[in-house]
Amino acid sequence: MPLTIRPLHPDFVAEITGLDMRVPPGAALMRAIVEAADTYAVLIFPDQHITDEQHVAFSRPFGRLETTIKAYRPGFKGRLDPHVADISNLDENSTLLSATDRRRMNSLGNRLWHTDYTFKPTPGMYSLLAAHVIPEDGGETQFANMRAAYDALSDRMKQRLDGLTAEHSLLYSRGTIGFTDFSDEEKQRLGSATQPIVRVHPGSRRNTLYLASHAMMIHGMEVPEGRILLKELMDHATRPEFVHTHRWTAGDLVLWDNRCTMHRAREYDAAKIRELHRTTVMEATPPMAELTRTIA
Amino acid sequence: MTITVHPITPDFAAEIGGVDLREPIGKATVTAINGAINKAGVLIFHDQFITDEQQQAFSRNFGDLETTVKIYRKDHKPRLDIHVSDVSNLDEQNRLLAKNDRRRLNGLGNRLWHSDSSFKRVPARFSLLSARTIPGGGGETQFADMRAAWDTLPETMRRRVEGLICEHTQLFSRAKIGFTDWAPEELEKMAPVPQVLVRTHPGSGRKSLYLSSHAGRILGMEDPEARLLLMDLTEHATQPQFVYTHTWRVGDLVMWDNRCTMHRAREYDAAQIRDMHRTTVSDGVPTVLEQAAA
Repeated sequence: MPLTIRPLHPDFVAEITGLDMRVPPGAALMRAIVEAADTYAVLIFPDQHITDEQHVAFSRPFGRLETTIKAYRPGFKGRLDPHVADISNLDENSTLLSATDRRRMNSLGNRLWHTDYTFKPTPGMYSLLAAHVIPEDGGETQFANMRAAYDALSDRMKQRLDGLTAEHSLLYSRGTIGFTDFSDEEKQRLGSATQPIVRVHPGSRRNTLYLASHAMMIHGMEVPEGRILLKELMDHATRPEFVHTHRWTAGDLVLWDNRCTMHRAREYDAAKIRELHRTTVMEATPPMAELTRTIA
Repeated sequence: MTITVHPITPDFAAEIGGVDLREPIGKATVTAINGAINKAGVLIFHDQFITDEQQQAFSRNFGDLETTVKIYRKDHKPRLDIHVSDVSNLDEQNRLLAKNDRRRLNGLGNRLWHSDSSFKRVPARFSLLSARTIPGGGGETQFADMRAAWDTLPETMRRRVEGLICEHTQLFSRAKIGFTDWAPEELEKMAPVPQVLVRTHPGSGRKSLYLSSHAGRILGMEDPEARLLLMDLTEHATQPQFVYTHTWRVGDLVMWDNRCTMHRAREYDAAQIRDMHRTTVSDGVPTVLEQAAA
């Protein structure tokens, strides 16, 4: 069955129909999806009502799946398979978390612009997020086109960023919203990772900014100077012309390429259920291994 | 002499002509300037080559002057009078600060959107910034129209934020950029102060968001929830349609109303001199009391 690809912007975000995600992808379908992701970075697959098992089985052929970092916390009780990140406001009994619950506070960090797992040396490549229950209002996910953001930088800024690296930490990004309730074991296992600020997107050979709210400092710069530069780059990359807002419908599955996008969740009513399940296909090698000069 | 008012946009930022700030000004001119700033929030006076004494004398027409927070430090060696904030990259000998000098790194906090002295219980009403030396490029100051930001806030958000009280301290804003190099005597003066999040601007009767990078907490709200609300509101308020960018010329004096604007500095080459002098007119009353009375 041939895929139908409907781009929402010239080189960013496409809606894809003509496939059934209840069945793991064959080689031809995988190639078509990778090719579409290389071009559009964010792929929206409507009407895919899949189980977690189907979700995992569809994701696995693309690479190694990450297990949820919430399991780093002693006493963690998962609601879902460890390969499925629980992006919801529900506890292990599927009851709504209270507005002040620690788990809810932690998850508010998703409202900051980020890229999945940049705080690990080998970060997330594709994230596949499936919408199970969606509130009537709010709770959108926004995506930023980091290749377009790079292209729009001044030549001087491109020169300045060439070869720079940043340190990424989840503890840092959570700290910026005043969330610090991590156990010693979580802190130790979460650690931090060095990432290039500009990378060459492997599938398209286009340069891209590689940023996240997890980025806490730039190596070789005074901390305040690095933070201000990171903040300005984040502001630049999330200007309205680089951002697409996805309004969810139950049954949507959205796949995005973390190597050339950032994303964030928008606010929704804490008294309403919002339940999404995510698998994450990790990159094969650390981005630092491919750190090359991005300007000839 | 009557002043001229040339609006930059219909209700935000205006250029003022027909006044010489080296000379004492009469009551009518003070009234006219007050009227203009109540409407426009930001006033630009060009070609005003003034001394610090003249700047202080002009500023005092609008109220009592603040003293600079830099005097909190025992090792502070002032370059200027204590009523004049030294917004420069120069040391007390007029030499360029090293790139990693703590005074320069602290000054980088001005690159975050803020309202002057919102970390003081009685914050700043007007700031008057005079450009003495400017770099060849960059170093602009941007201003955000917080009354327009309020006007365009969705009704549900307005209901949610009205009546909220924030805590402001410079510790929050400087921690955001990883600056924590404070002397004990400074820390003593940095206890968080309460500020309303929505205020009625006395000069215009219009409502305004009152935000600043110094705001880190909202009373009665979990910290993560509060921080995200403050971030979302700041993002809303600093959208391009609410922002005026001032590109400086030597001799410009810009006067702004901190009660209904935020501002930030933009980057410039650290190897070039940028020397600006600021006087600050205190607001006279804590915002929490002002709003209780309103």
